[in-house]
Amino acid sequence: MRPDPKKLLEWIKPSPPTKEERECMKLLQPGDYEIYTEKLNNFLLESKEIFIKLGVSSMLRSGDVVTGIYTPTGDMVAAWCGTYLHAVVGQLPIKFVAETWLDEPTVGCKDGDIFYASDPLYGGIHNCDQIVIMPVFNDGELIAWTNAAVHQPETGACEPGGMPLTAKTRHDEGMLLSPIKIGENFRLREDLVEMCVNLMSRAPRMQAIDMRARLSAADRLRQRIVSLAQEKGNDFVKGLFRRIVIEAEEGTRRRIKEWNDGTYRAVTFMDIVGEKHKLVRNFLTLHKKGDQIIWDFTGTSPETDSPQHCMPHALAANIAIHLMSYSFNDLPVSAGVLAPMEFIVPEGCMFNPHFEAAQSNSAPSCHGGMTLGTICMSKLMFDSPQRELVAAATGNTGVGVLVSGVNQWGVLIADFLAYGLNSEGHGARSDMDGVDAFGFSHCPTGRTPDIEDIEIEYQFLNLLAKLNKDSCGFGKNRGGAGTEIVHIVNYVPYALYNSHVKGSKIRNCMGLFGGYPPSTLPGIEVFHTNIWEKMKRGDKDLPSSAMQLISERTIKGDYKIDSIFQKTHVMENGDLWVVFSGGGGGYGDALERDPEMVMDDLRREIISHWTAENIYHVAYNSETLEADVEKTEQLRQQEREDRKARGTTWAEFEKEWSQLRPPEDILDYYGSWPDGKKTREIIRL
Amino acid sequence: MGTKRQITEYLDIDLEKELWCCNRCGYELISARENYKKGCSIYIRKDLATIYNSPLKGPFTFAPDPTWAMLVEFYCPACGTMFENEMLPPGHPVTHDIELDIDKLKEKHLSASTNKK
Repeated sequence: MRPDPKKLLEWIKPSPPTKEERECMKLLQPGDYEIYTEKLNNFLLESKEIFIKLGVSSMLRSGDVVTGIYTPTGDMVAAWCGTYLHAVVGQLPIKFVAETWLDEPTVGCKDGDIFYASDPLYGGIHNCDQIVIMPVFNDGELIAWTNAAVHQPETGACEPGGMPLTAKTRHDEGMLLSPIKIGENFRLREDLVEMCVNLMSRAPRMQAIDMRARLSAADRLRQRIVSLAQEKGNDFVKGLFRRIVIEAEEGTRRRIKEWNDGTYRAVTFMDIVGEKHKLVRNFLTLHKKGDQIIWDFTGTSPETDSPQHCMPHALAANIAIHLMSYSFNDLPVSAGVLAPMEFIVPEGCMFNPHFEAAQSNSAPSCHGGMTLGTICMSKLMFDSPQRELVAAATGNTGVGVLVSGVNQWGVLIADFLAYGLNSEGHGARSDMDGVDAFGFSHCPTGRTPDIEDIEIEYQFLNLLAKLNKDSCGFGKNRGGAGTEIVHIVNYVPYALYNSHVKGSKIRNCMGLFGGYPPSTLPGIEVFHTNIWEKMKRGDKDLPSSAMQLISERTIKGDYKIDSIFQKTHVMENGDLWVVFSGGGGGYGDALERDPEMVMDDLRREIISHWTAENIYHVAYNSETLEADVEKTEQLRQQEREDRKARGTTWAEFEKEWSQLRPPEDILDYYGSWPDGKKTREIIRL
Repeated sequence: MGTKRQITEYLDIDLEKELWCCNRCGYELISARENYKKGCSIYIRKDLATIYNSPLKGPFTFAPDPTWAMLVEFYCPACGTMFENEMLPPGHPVTHDIELDIDKLKEKHLSASTNKK
């Protein structure tokens, strides 16, 4: 009964319009399409606001959510994004329910029913992402579906926080819900809610509240669509929905057709597998021909005994984040955008593992794929009218910092600290710098939670929160800066903490056209500090940046400089740690950056003096920050001459480069070197 | 531009000559049917602390681990502009990142300019 991965991947694309839908489209009068698509967007905006205001977990409150509208067959019509990937995969459990449960006598589907799902094998991303689905009936006819989805930061897995690094199979990952009917007559069934809450015994309150928040959002959307159908008729609604999907597909194909035919490739690397630092590769070959794009991930490292996998449909949904926020951002957020896309994801690679594989870290496992998508699409779009949408990669560190324990109110929590998550640097663009602390790599509209809100809800004091100096990828246009925040365990004796953040060894974020990738991110923790004594005394020398914390060490304690990636461990009252979010990739040669913009970066503490001098080669007065343009040009010309002097020919380069190889012990999970082919079987218990 | 198309920030293709050229100085690199990187001046940046300044020392800093990653920089042999760079594990093959259908490109643009004339 469970759909196979090929079927799930096919389901992300729209079904062909039926004869009836084509007839219904004729009901739309001039202006109707424009007016009523906007009306749908307003419905979505309202449901999103309801969702965010009613929920409690940090990603929900940060806006990393989706509410969406789907056709009766499950094709995405419109969505508030939010998280584009949730909008795309939201189709799949609906299609499963429509195909499987609708006519099943023991389940069925009627007005007021509520379905719920979280299992990636049935179309989700990973089991943290819980989706509520509601059928929309008017006059007894199923005319649409609505949904509301958001990451739930606890799943009852073998570790707190829903994304266990030690998971070896899906059986270590906690609650995995195939699509079930969880409510009838517009009400959740309390016995089933209690089952979910009971499974989430590390954070029962969050589960109980957020389930209801999802339902409230999806139901408000349902009510609005019913009102629209009552006003305009069911056939009008069906015609409108199909027209939106078709408009998106036709617009997408038209645009693709204008671009240069060819093959574009990119490779990136991830530095974590399970709870170890190991190297794996993600590879993309993008073929563009006519009005179609083929995404071929052959060459990606094989599956492992870790949770860093995703299903092909989840990879495609993550690719859709770029498509819908850059290349086709002006078209409806609908399944039509995906119609011209084909995905090749070989069985047995980390993006298409065995069904028993753990995949609770699915979303962060896709960051490399997201980087590849942005880079290949940017190279494809440069020689086109869409040049302004050309960009280096977003930070893509996936700042998953998870805390758990009892908060200062005596309530059990297990949650993300969403500040870093929602403040990665944006990739630099062809015409401008990347946005500093722009948002969440999966959710461009996500916002960092308010600092005071974090302190009210959780057992932490935030010593500082700001942009992280020198974190951006340097270039003619620089990447957006990432952030740094220092959390101190407060009020309670201890808290549990782990981090899934990548990029301490090598970053999977890439620059573009000579722009540099951003810096790596170390982990910094200080145990047994004297912070409370210092605060009590009113000491004036508390650090105002992470760099000052580690270089001046005015806070006494046991300093540990390690990987930013951390297994679950205990942090005691007064212990502190730094969370960095990654900067975005740079664009273009740093020697072409306007010296005045370099000065501005210095004034805003985006970069250091070292970087201004050694990367941008700017001559300036370090007190007044006035650039000497003439001398700068001389310095830059000298650097260009130095480059020519140190550069070698291809043959000389190949001779030296082919002799190099990474250490064997980091290649355990890589596959064959260097092409990443499967070299062994994974036996799962 | 004549019969040149700008394909990246720093690279043109001369459609008549079928050559990759530097957009800044016009230097002719290599056949447009080849990987343009083969026509570049190439530098292996092994010490990444020369790009990512870090007060930290040891295995975890703000610069990638040199045993995990090196930066391969591709320059114009004539003017020294950096066309592209790649962060790669040591010895990993460089990527043939742009392989255009040159015949289609010529058909699209050369015939268009002929028709215009």
